[in-house]
Formats: sequence, structure tokens, C-alpha cells
Amino acid sequence: MDLSDFEADNSVSCRLSSSIPDVCKTEDCCLGIDEAGRGPVLGPMVYGICFCPVSRKEDLKNLKVADSKTLTEAERENLFVKLDEAKSFVGWALQILSPNMISTSMLQRAKYNLNALSHDAAIGLVQYALDSGVQLKEVFVDTVGPAEKYQDKLSQRFPGVEVTVRPKADSLFPIVSAASICAKVARDHAVKSWKFAEDLGDVDTDYGSGYPNDPKTKSWLLKYLDPVFGYPQFVRFSWSTAQTLLDSKAVTVHWDDDEEDGEKAAARQNNTSVLSYFSRNKPSELTHTRDIHRFFTERKLKSINTL
Amino acid sequence: MMTANSCVTSIRRDSIKQADKPQIHLLPCEVEHDGPAEVFKFFNPTVKERKHETTVSFRGRGLKGQELQCPQGYTGVVLKEVQKPASDQEDRVVKVSSVFHHFTYWNLETPPTSDDGVVMAMAWPELAEAIHGPVDD
Repeated sequence: MDLSDFEADNSVSCRLSSSIPDVCKTEDCCLGIDEAGRGPVLGPMVYGICFCPVSRKEDLKNLKVADSKTLTEAERENLFVKLDEAKSFVGWALQILSPNMISTSMLQRAKYNLNALSHDAAIGLVQYALDSGVQLKEVFVDTVGPAEKYQDKLSQRFPGVEVTVRPKADSLFPIVSAASICAKVARDHAVKSWKFAEDLGDVDTDYGSGYPNDPKTKSWLLKYLDPVFGYPQFVRFSWSTAQTLLDSKAVTVHWDDDEEDGEKAAARQNNTSVLSYFSRNKPSELTHTRDIHRFFTERKLKSINTL
Repeated sequence: MMTANSCVTSIRRDSIKQADKPQIHLLPCEVEHDGPAEVFKFFNPTVKERKHETTVSFRGRGLKGQELQCPQGYTGVVLKEVQKPASDQEDRVVKVSSVFHHFTYWNLETPPTSDDGVVMAMAWPELAEAIHGPVDD
């Protein structure tokens, strides 16, 4: 699998795809959606779709695709090669959501949660297939969240397509298994050959599974923690594992949209807390007689004597 | 220069020769840290220019930046206190640790605009000159 488009800039989201088989543009098709790397604190999350004509479902089954989680890495690699060789009737596309994109989305001012992010990636891929001329009739989706709501959302978004959202769809429908293999192979490759944008020299690639409870992942997170910057962009800052480690081992960073209040926050923002009026020592600002004009406070300009 | 307590803060002018000229970044957050940081390892290499936008992330938050020039005739300096005074009555000595003529101003998620305080602040010297400068006949 060639990930060079993603590796050229692994801080953003990237789409990779096979060519569209001609037969998929003329015959009714089924399409499967699955994801890989939802849980890990490291690396990208990958959404995959795979599609083929409804009439060729048996041929796909004969490729012996199975849920990617039940396969070894080598078996997945082999099956991906087989899928790619079946390009006369099978097509695939992937959306690689970089860890940096996951972090910045989830930590955005207007929070963009992982479910919404996942749904949008899936919808984007189905739309891509439609735009490419694939005659979609059936869509099968694996889900971790509540299936019904998601199914309604997709059915409304794609009228005329029969949508089936099912937990464990990757072991029930071969077309979803095929999608899960594409996604998992891409995720494995991306993690294994991660090109650190940071200038970190030779990085220890023994990160383990990337799951927060993996001791190898934990010790990697400790080893590469920087007290100021936190982590390289390979880490999902929005994961509680990363946050907890930063809270205890890195310096504190305050943003203007932080949800903090009380005396401490007010003091830090250089405001005068109401409580301070009751203390013995008057806040120093009250002893100043001259007010600074709004012109200067708006521009964050201060007189040098307040240095 | 004089402080409110009438003690003197002086700048060691000779230090300006040894001052380094690093890239300066002004972040839209407060970092509870005063000291060296691995800017060259973590920050500078991850700055991206795409579609006329300069982006980076810090602690998992997306930032958008703009290069700002120091006002004409002005030099930016980063001052470092040589020794912390024991009391606020004592005179203070600072040295110039860095010199800069431009810096990158970063905003959280939105690109900097001419309405941002720091961008507007760069126009103050010109305005001050107009208000306080000598008047030609």
C-alpha cells in the first residue's frame, strides 16, 4: 500500500483510493465501511470503504476475507494484495485522519467529538464513491455507537441507498471485512513508518499497540514527553491518557477558553477577584490612581515600569 | 527608566552584541514556564504553509499565524533579568538575551486579523509620533 500522499504531510487528513472498476459504474453495487485505530492514543485513525457489484459478492467471499481483527498482520497484508489484484470488480478508498487532526478537532473551541468526526469521514467516503459514479444500492457499516441512530442518519443522507448499520458487521458481511482489512493495513503501515515532523533524531519505534493500557505505549509516552511542547504530533493530545500524563509531568498551559474560574483564574488573568477586597492587603491596582486607557489595554501595551 | 517605586531598571547595553537572533513566536496562551524550550525540535519543523495559511499546533490545539514586522525604526528585544532583586526597592539590571525584527503572531484556530490587539499595537509608535512628535511649520 502506497502511503506517500499521506506521508507528504501527516498532520492533516488524507484520502487514498484505488481506481474505480468499470463494472461498478454500470452494475448495482454494495459497499462496506469500517475503521481502524479508533482507540489508540498514537497514530492516525483510518476509515475504509470497499465496494463491488452485488452480483460479485460470492467472488469476494471466495477471496476469504474475514474480520481484520481475527487475522495476523501477515494475513491482512496478503488479503489486501488479493483485494488489490481483484481490481476488475473491487474498489476501495481510505480516509486517514491524522492524530494531529484528531487532537485539534476534539480540542477545538467548538468541540468536534470523535463520533461526529467518524461519521463525517464515513459520509465523505460514501459521497466519494457516488461522485465517482459507483452505482450504490447497499451500504453496510460497522459501528461502535448506537446502530439505529447512525443508520437513520446515513439513510437520510443517502436516499435510494439501503443502509445497514450493525455492530460486528466486519465479521458478518464480507464487503465490510474487506473494508476493515484496507483500513487496518493502512493504519499499520502509517504507524510503523511514521515520519516524525519534529526534529527528534532516531525515534524509538517500540510503541507497542498504541493502546493506552499497553505498558510499551505507556513507557514510550513517558520517554517522549517534553515539558513545554508535550508530545510530537504522532500522539492524540485529546486522549485522557495523554492529558493525564501532561497534567502531572508537563508545565501548565492556560488558554483563554479554558473552563476555570474562581480566585486563582482571576488572579492569573490579572483581574481583581472580589475576595481580594476583603483581605488585609488591598490589591495593588487599587492603589494606582491613573487608569490606563482602553487604547492600550486593547493592544496589550504596557508601560515599561510595570515590567 | 524609572519604575513606580523610583528604583532604576537598567539595560546592559553591551549584551546586545551577544544577543542571539532567533525566530520569535507569540502564542495565544500562557505557558507556566520561564526558561529554555525545544522550539527547534518541536515547533519550527511542524509549521506548515498551505493555501496562504500558516498553521501549527501546540499541545494539540490548532494555531494560525502571521508574520509581523516590528514598527519601523524599532528593534524587538527579549530582556532577561541578570539577578532577581531581593526587594522591590532595589535597582534592577536586565540584559538583552535576544534581538528580533519580526515575529510570528499566532492565534487560536482563527487567522490573525488587523483587529487583533498585537497587530494593532504595531501601529502605536507611528501614532505616538504623530501625537507627541515635534510639529513642523
